[in-house]
Amino acid sequence: MSRQPRVFFALDFGAATTSAALVGHAGGRWRLLAHAAAPSTTELDALLFGILDRVERADPELLEFVSAQERPKTADLVADLARLESRSSPPRRIAVLAGSKRQRRRLEEVAARAGWLVVGGSADVDDPLELSRLVLAWDTHAVLLGADPTPGGDEKRHLPMLGALVAAAARRRPELAVVLAGGAAIQESDFSGAGEHDRILEVAKTVAAAGPAAGADDTPVEVPSAAPAAEPAPDEARSAEVAEGAIAADPLAAAGAATDTAAAPAAPQPAAPAHAAPVELNAAAPDRHDSVLLAPDAESGQPAGSALQQVLEGLRARSDESRLGVARSVRSLALLLDKSIEVIEVGVDGGLRCRAEAVGPGHRTVVSSHVGMASGSFTPDDLTDEVIDEVLSWSTIAFDRYRLIDRLRDLRSSPWGEADGEGALLRLAAAKAAVQRLVAATPEISEREMPDILIAAGGVWASTPPSVVALAMADLVRRPGVGRLACDQARLLGPLGAITDEEERRKMLKDLVEDVLLPLGSLILPAGIRQGRSAGRMRVMGETANSDIDLQPGGIWAVELAPGQTARADMDFRDAVRLGARGRHFSVEVSGGLGGLFVDLRDIPLRLPDRADQKRATWESWQRAMWSEIDE
Amino acid sequence: MSPRKRLPPPAEKPAVGPELARIPARRILVVSPVIQIRLAPGDRVLVSPGQKVDAGTPIAERTSDAEFVEVGRLGGSGNGNGKEPGDAGWRGLQQERRRPPTPGKWWVGGDDRRGKSTRREGPRRIAGTLLYEFNGRWSAAAGERHDKIESPTSGVVMEAANCIGIAMKVTGVAIPAAVAGGEPARGYLDVPRLVEGELRDTALDVGRSGAVVVAGGRVSAEALTRARAMSIRGMVAGSLGQAELRDLAASEARQRAGLHSMPPFGVLGLDGHQRRPIASPILALLAALAGREVAIVTEPPLLVLDVVDVPLPELPPDWVRVRSGTHAGREGRWLSSAGLHRFRAGIHLEAANIRLGDDLGPTVIALADLERFIL
Repeated sequence: MSRQPRVFFALDFGAATTSAALVGHAGGRWRLLAHAAAPSTTELDALLFGILDRVERADPELLEFVSAQERPKTADLVADLARLESRSSPPRRIAVLAGSKRQRRRLEEVAARAGWLVVGGSADVDDPLELSRLVLAWDTHAVLLGADPTPGGDEKRHLPMLGALVAAAARRRPELAVVLAGGAAIQESDFSGAGEHDRILEVAKTVAAAGPAAGADDTPVEVPSAAPAAEPAPDEARSAEVAEGAIAADPLAAAGAATDTAAAPAAPQPAAPAHAAPVELNAAAPDRHDSVLLAPDAESGQPAGSALQQVLEGLRARSDESRLGVARSVRSLALLLDKSIEVIEVGVDGGLRCRAEAVGPGHRTVVSSHVGMASGSFTPDDLTDEVIDEVLSWSTIAFDRYRLIDRLRDLRSSPWGEADGEGALLRLAAAKAAVQRLVAATPEISEREMPDILIAAGGVWASTPPSVVALAMADLVRRPGVGRLACDQARLLGPLGAITDEEERRKMLKDLVEDVLLPLGSLILPAGIRQGRSAGRMRVMGETANSDIDLQPGGIWAVELAPGQTARADMDFRDAVRLGARGRHFSVEVSGGLGGLFVDLRDIPLRLPDRADQKRATWESWQRAMWSEIDE
Repeated sequence: MSPRKRLPPPAEKPAVGPELARIPARRILVVSPVIQIRLAPGDRVLVSPGQKVDAGTPIAERTSDAEFVEVGRLGGSGNGNGKEPGDAGWRGLQQERRRPPTPGKWWVGGDDRRGKSTRREGPRRIAGTLLYEFNGRWSAAAGERHDKIESPTSGVVMEAANCIGIAMKVTGVAIPAAVAGGEPARGYLDVPRLVEGELRDTALDVGRSGAVVVAGGRVSAEALTRARAMSIRGMVAGSLGQAELRDLAASEARQRAGLHSMPPFGVLGLDGHQRRPIASPILALLAALAGREVAIVTEPPLLVLDVVDVPLPELPPDWVRVRSGTHAGREGRWLSSAGLHRFRAGIHLEAANIRLGDDLGPTVIALADLERFIL
């Protein structure tokens, strides 16, 4: 055999989980051959050995074929096979400074949406000593000083002092990245320096010029990063090369229609690492601080703040970051399937909500937006009272507050620990609270219609039964309509998003789409149901089974419908309801999944009792309907 | 586990089977870790990068009552440094004084900044660090009270900057912990007799003054209060709850506000926040080190042993410990892989058959709930 191997590992290095998938080209297309996940502390080679061992035991000929070797040695394959990798960026902290409390809130919101851990202060409330503490703290990696484009009196008078304060801090800590947003750019002269600085200036101008169009594309602007002292190895240092054209209206639009998969493809090329040419920003003049970015103000872009968000995201994230990869893959999928797709991903170091859809039916242009937030973690680093309250409000177990904090902190240090029994219930409550935070932070996505496909991603869902994941999605993404629910079980969306070439990524996704999206089922979620009496009837006519359901308001039902099966659901309501459109009679095509078909007649938004014990009982009753094994 | 061996060379890696390799490994010791001492505006360092320091050497000065001070215009040199001739580093500080004012530079308040003196009290001296210059006028974080911070352990200073912090590479080895509270502290290691893995509060008496006490599975708020009152320097426990950490932080705040400062006190939770006994290999190691000087470091949480030559417990390669779940804290030996197993609430997880303690039969435990030890 002298062929090239047509198999590769897709690896996703999360904060808690390392996920590995073996993807091979067999039978004329790329296929997911096997996948496994393990705690990130597990040795990678042990994980890869396990995967190859399983494939070898199940189908040795297949392994020989894709590896183009006779009796391939597992150890050699582990060492030699190509790897497509994505990884989580560790959370980093930004200090947000502003002249007024009002401006500070806006900037904090944008910085949080760009995935930063945020601390902030404003000159009208905090004294300069407190602001200096924020900026000089060891774990602060960047400073964002912002103002309106034309600063009002409330912040204008503080800007010169803030500029001097930040410039002084930047001289003390050359590794600190400084972003001057909006009207704060006038303080640029406080930061002496040229050359690199001038080039950085161009980035900001590009973003500013992009204006409203910037929101249509979720590609972060790559900006030079003054890496924190403790973090990156030399090979991980970010390039200072400016990603020209990163603000194009939509790269997918230019890519044209998807074409058929090539007959003999090679393993895909991951995104070129951004550390190809590290630049020592302060090598020439150690006391000069060059890593200053001039960025748009907190209102620029569509939605407001998206232009600044892009700059801050580019400053924070690696080019092969998992969450950005998921967002890119979802955009490609939306174009490929011509459907609106929404992903909710929850992990240990943050969460992501993104949505992509074509501009209109038949269009080749995709509009996408994404928000990755550190507070989208199911166990955030900063367990504030609000976070604890949120988890308690979703929990079916009564917890003492301190006991809950202890458990959440241990969950953070050992995210795979106690995944069964009470631990599973706690994890579910924490995950729901995280999704709630993500949903609250993304009103621009929430105001859109129910997506055609809603994908749950992230390690937190990995061990949860499919019907419970579907229920969690129904609990949290409450928009009337009919949609498919799926799960990125093999965690392939991140690594596939690391493929730089859009066309190549789409070809790969075209082959793998059935493997990537594990179907959980379909969700029917009507709005405007009147309480107190039967809302009507629904008949589900499938290939193997028919069901007739009395639609009682306030309940949720799961109808068995296996993966791969489709059925027609005819609904006759007594009163007009909203299900996409408004009407009484609906007939929709639904597809099955591991959880089946879910019919949710609960209120939109959910109405729950005020008392904690009654609320827990309500959650438990809904949960028990989907999770009969809960008492085992 | 009685025979002991010396610390193996760092490159040596114990061989474990591929199945056992899937269990998360926990390192008992880390060699020459880098520790951090966090400083704030107003604080200054007394050491410089590359400098070797011993345990107990003053490395920084904390301005515990730092406030924002408008300094005004400064000339080409600073106004003083608070040191007298003959002090260590006097020459260096003289040079430092001649430097033009820059952010972070140590500043001592001039006559006009020493406060208005009355007949009854003398002039107040304030000192701190310069923050920034605005319109030609300097601001500073300065105060009257300055407390020396001593190095909790010996090592080499890697970074040192006023207002920011000190990073130091420790000379010896350290036991990593999961959570820390209080301040870096130093004392002799005391391993009292534990009753069912726990230490009774009454065992914390004045006889243990100056000790770092191994306190068993959990340390209570009462035990922390009592330990501080008995001049105990620190406690090491299997776990440390959030409520206890909160109480300790409040106590620290009260101490800082008081005029009479007490010696630093630190506490470590080796496993996390929920109650768990100390792992037997670590307890054996601590018992072997009883009486030696150790240091509690809070960033990152470490129990520093200062020495490289440590008697390590001999561990069977298949020795595992349950880290979380219903059997948390128990230890035993790996028997075999149990494959994908159905656990409570219908959750399917990769599992293993483990013989726990003296149990006759195996117990099926999720791989993710287990940990193995590496030296």
